[in-house]
Amino acid sequence: MINENNYETYFMSYIDNELNAAERAAVEAFVLTEPKYASTMAVFEKAKLHAPNVEMEDRIFLYRFPEMQASLDPDFKKLLYKKEAPVRKVSFTPNLMRASFAIAALFILFIGLQLFKSDSPLLESNIVESNIVESPLKDKNTIASANILVPTENKILANAAMATKAITKNRTENKNNNQKENQNENQTILASTNYTSNSINTNIVSNSSSQASKENNSQNIVTAKLNEAQISSSSMETMASDEDKIIPVIPTSYKEIDTEQEDRTINIGMLEIDGATFRGITRRFSALLKRNKIEKEK
Amino acid sequence: MTDLEFNICVDDYSDGVYRFILKISKNKEDAKDIVQTAFEKLWVNREKVETLKAKSYLFTVAYHLMIDQLRKESKIIMTDSFDENANAITQGSSELKQLLLEAINNLNPTQKSLILLKDYEGYSYQEIGEIMQLSESQVKVYLHRARLILKNKLTHLEKMSA
Repeated sequence: MINENNYETYFMSYIDNELNAAERAAVEAFVLTEPKYASTMAVFEKAKLHAPNVEMEDRIFLYRFPEMQASLDPDFKKLLYKKEAPVRKVSFTPNLMRASFAIAALFILFIGLQLFKSDSPLLESNIVESNIVESPLKDKNTIASANILVPTENKILANAAMATKAITKNRTENKNNNQKENQNENQTILASTNYTSNSINTNIVSNSSSQASKENNSQNIVTAKLNEAQISSSSMETMASDEDKIIPVIPTSYKEIDTEQEDRTINIGMLEIDGATFRGITRRFSALLKRNKIEKEK
Repeated sequence: MTDLEFNICVDDYSDGVYRFILKISKNKEDAKDIVQTAFEKLWVNREKVETLKAKSYLFTVAYHLMIDQLRKESKIIMTDSFDENANAITQGSSELKQLLLEAINNLNPTQKSLILLKDYEGYSYQEIGEIMQLSESQVKVYLHRARLILKNKLTHLEKMSA
């Protein structure tokens, strides 16, 4: 029931239109009892808002028409899709990074070892050449040729290179002109008497190449070492044929390289690695791999 | 809900939703976006929403969108820019109405929403509670507090002017 203590609540409910007919009548009767209630009710009435005339702008965009629902046929849509190969995403995890670094390091080491191995034949050839140089020459008649042949290591190498050139030259010539073989032989005999190193080399080459051409150019590939050996043997033959002089066979000796030597080093780029460093690197790699394995197990 | 019924809802309720949001957010573009989003949601859910409850649905969606917007922009305290848009929603040129608008500006968003939904749209306490996710008694209490504030403000101003 409305009274002095709750009349404001009733007034507000009256303004909010939340009272039934009986309650509304009771409030209207209560207002008339005293002027202050009427003034209070008037203030509440004034505090009530009245809706202004506001229109929504761009209302046209809110409407929906059947035409707007038009859509493409799903099968036709599928035809428009671009077919792309599935993209493989590689997650570059720390473990993968470590593994890739380890593989790269091993690859570099492998290349280094290959380079290290490739150095050894050169050393052997040097030893052979030095033996040739140091071999004594007994016969005086061979001094001239020997002096020309092996005064220095460089000359030998130059002669060997010339010999290989001559081999290739004669190969082509022999292929085309098989009939001129005898002439070449004669030339070689004549030329061998000149005791010049170059002529000797060419004679030897021509002889060997003529023999090879007789065998239908089979096994024509001759190494530089063989050429040098033939240089000595064929020169002996030619000399013997002309002047019956003996040229000693130069013995070839091979020296073993001690791969277990402690102070041997390999160079990878600017980095020089000796045995101790290499062992340290391998130890670290093995420790890293072990640690990765433990982490994976965890 | 058919296409035709939806378009009738646009005719009948778009102005009311827009006015309600504009009054609180005080930004025309924000109000337009919110109304557009509310109608899009109604369109998407047109098969679930009954036509008779479309208005309540629109106000509910719009109210929550507006609250989210205000939270994002930290515009919970609304004071200044209402005057700029107030011209569009003034109830007249009288000084009393201007004072009333100033008093409404000092209300918090919940009280303001309650007043607007009640006075502009004529919703019952129960409907307002559904829209604002409040109980009927909460709506009544909060709304009466807001009305008392406005009444005291007007009484004070009238005394000052007198």
